[in-house]
Amino acid sequence: MAIKIIVMMKQVPDAEEIFIDPVKFTLNRAQARGIINPSDENALECALKIKDQTGAEITVLSMGPPAAESAIIECMGRGADRGVLVTDRVFAAADTYATSLTLAASVKNLGEFDLIIAGESTTDSGTGHVGPGVAEFLGIDQATYCTSLHIENDALVAERDLEDGTEVVSIGLPALATVLISSNIPRRAKLRLKIDALRKGIEKWDHDTLKLPPEWVGIKGSPTVVGALKIPEERKRAAKRITVDQLGELVKELGGMGLIKTEEEEA
Amino acid sequence: MSEFDAIIVGAGPAGSSAAIKLASSGLTTLLVEKADPPGSKNVSGGIMWGNELGGVLPDWEKDAPLERYVISKGTGLLTSDSLISVDFRSRKFESRKTGYSVLRAKFDQYLANKAKSKGATLVTGVTVDGLALKDGKVAGVIQEGDEITADTVILAEGVNPRVAISSGLRPEIGDKDVAIGVKQVVKLSEATINERFNIRGNSGFAGEYVLGFLKNGVKAGGFLYTNKETISVGAVINVGTLRADNETHSFEIMDQFVNHPFISPYLEGGKMEEYSAHLVCEGGIGSVPKIYGDGYLIAGDAAGFSYSNGLIIQGINYAITSGIAAADTVIEAKSKSNFSSGMLRGYEDRLQGKYVLKDLKKFRGIEEVTWSNLAHKALPDIAEETLFNLFYEEGIPKRHLMEIVLSATKKSGVKKTDMILEAYRTMRRM
Repeated sequence: MAIKIIVMMKQVPDAEEIFIDPVKFTLNRAQARGIINPSDENALECALKIKDQTGAEITVLSMGPPAAESAIIECMGRGADRGVLVTDRVFAAADTYATSLTLAASVKNLGEFDLIIAGESTTDSGTGHVGPGVAEFLGIDQATYCTSLHIENDALVAERDLEDGTEVVSIGLPALATVLISSNIPRRAKLRLKIDALRKGIEKWDHDTLKLPPEWVGIKGSPTVVGALKIPEERKRAAKRITVDQLGELVKELGGMGLIKTEEEEA
Repeated sequence: MSEFDAIIVGAGPAGSSAAIKLASSGLTTLLVEKADPPGSKNVSGGIMWGNELGGVLPDWEKDAPLERYVISKGTGLLTSDSLISVDFRSRKFESRKTGYSVLRAKFDQYLANKAKSKGATLVTGVTVDGLALKDGKVAGVIQEGDEITADTVILAEGVNPRVAISSGLRPEIGDKDVAIGVKQVVKLSEATINERFNIRGNSGFAGEYVLGFLKNGVKAGGFLYTNKETISVGAVINVGTLRADNETHSFEIMDQFVNHPFISPYLEGGKMEEYSAHLVCEGGIGSVPKIYGDGYLIAGDAAGFSYSNGLIIQGINYAITSGIAAADTVIEAKSKSNFSSGMLRGYEDRLQGKYVLKDLKKFRGIEEVTWSNLAHKALPDIAEETLFNLFYEEGIPKRHLMEIVLSATKKSGVKKTDMILEAYRTMRRM
């Protein structure tokens, strides 16, 4: 029997189209189009590669507003078999703790599974908490910072990209893996699959489906308090056009500004 | 049995209008668009002239994302030092609206979503590779090796119709068929725009200019349209003359236009929100291919439906009208279960009955006037010299207007006979 993979995906505003409100310090995402969180695209691609090789049944699980449906359809257009959107006003404004808990409950509600794959972090918050959080709530093993995944002898073999090199780990199923951004080239959706996805549609789950205590979800279930938000100061940049014979002067100038060290100084 | 009654390639004004009509009539319709969302790859000016949308959306004026209605239409000649323009402004446009500025990223999304709400299957972010053929007839589309079948395919791919070209349904785009459009969207406050253009409420300005200051042989026009809180400004550049000149680049023409002493004050202090470039449909009837055949129709820019006479540039209205006419034809074909070339010929007949093909035929050769040496190289200088001499008081005996014009013409180096011939041709064709 084909293994069952759950891909956790979040729809995020296109980072190229959002800006920070200079007065209220909030993200203005009203005009930004919704896209699949970039590393979640890589997570889905990992799942699709496993499906290509050994066969798999892929469910895309997302939590978010109803508009996230289009991102799930896009995932199904690339080859996912089923789409579930967990959407309810009471889930809104959840921090990473409440989100992980709600998603873990959703995974349980999906029934049996072998592998959960998620992007390492999202572009609209970037904590990297949710993948590991779901693994903890489910009590399963996890491999983080992965660049490639495959299934060998009923175990997950994952390549992890760490600071001092690459680590290859093998962990028993069921397991959860988070995948780094740009670790593969996500495929494009196919017309055939998108038409089928639109016909099939997605499942929408709400609070009544999951039946979690209200104080566990949404803003009530979120222990995080945002103290302050700061916009990093934009680095000042300068450019100068020079010819090759002016290189010496440029080196001196940059040395004088303390931006580079010249050999004489080092000696 | 086909999977869909109709597949439409391209969710611009032509494709979405066709889809709205087809889906409203109960036909199973697939609308495929490469951009996501629709309109996000578009570089239209753009003013939508006319009331064509009423044909499929009676309430469009109330709920479409329109920017401003045109109350003031400018047409002018720009030289390095001067602007010679006619600015027609009329309260008559208040009660009888002739055109609206639109931002196509919003507008195309609105139209595509209308098609979806009428029941069409809308797939975005997917590019169709080619046409599926069966017994020499178009029987659907091909995408990544999959065949999706339909009784009829409407190609509304826009100005660079790759599917129609690769399928041999129309020739490759030539220099005469298109121009290069370069556009900026500049953000300003609504109040500033109102003040600078002397407009109020949701009324707006649409201006088109001959860029007579360009050196070498390059010919180009400029446009300036007001939106609610932005200004769309851009250049439309003739491809042949640009190709012939290695010195000039399209972005420099754009820079010269927006920095012109009589254009830059409109844009001053604005923040550039978009910078884009695209081909623009320009060819006239000479660029229109065969627009129907066994199992297919071509609509909008893909069919070369646009109109420009130097005073006005139109395309969206032609796209919508042709999209609706294509849909009407498919609906009739469906009722008779006949999708042959002979049946779909009704599309051309429908367009003959409307202004789309009538205009293109009547104004055959207009593109030669729009891009003539007279309009781009001689007229701006002659007009500047004439008006300068007319209005400049230097305390010497005055001359008759005709004398001034003749001496200005002589100075411009244009032969009198050429001038008369060109002027005659312009009057005839315009």
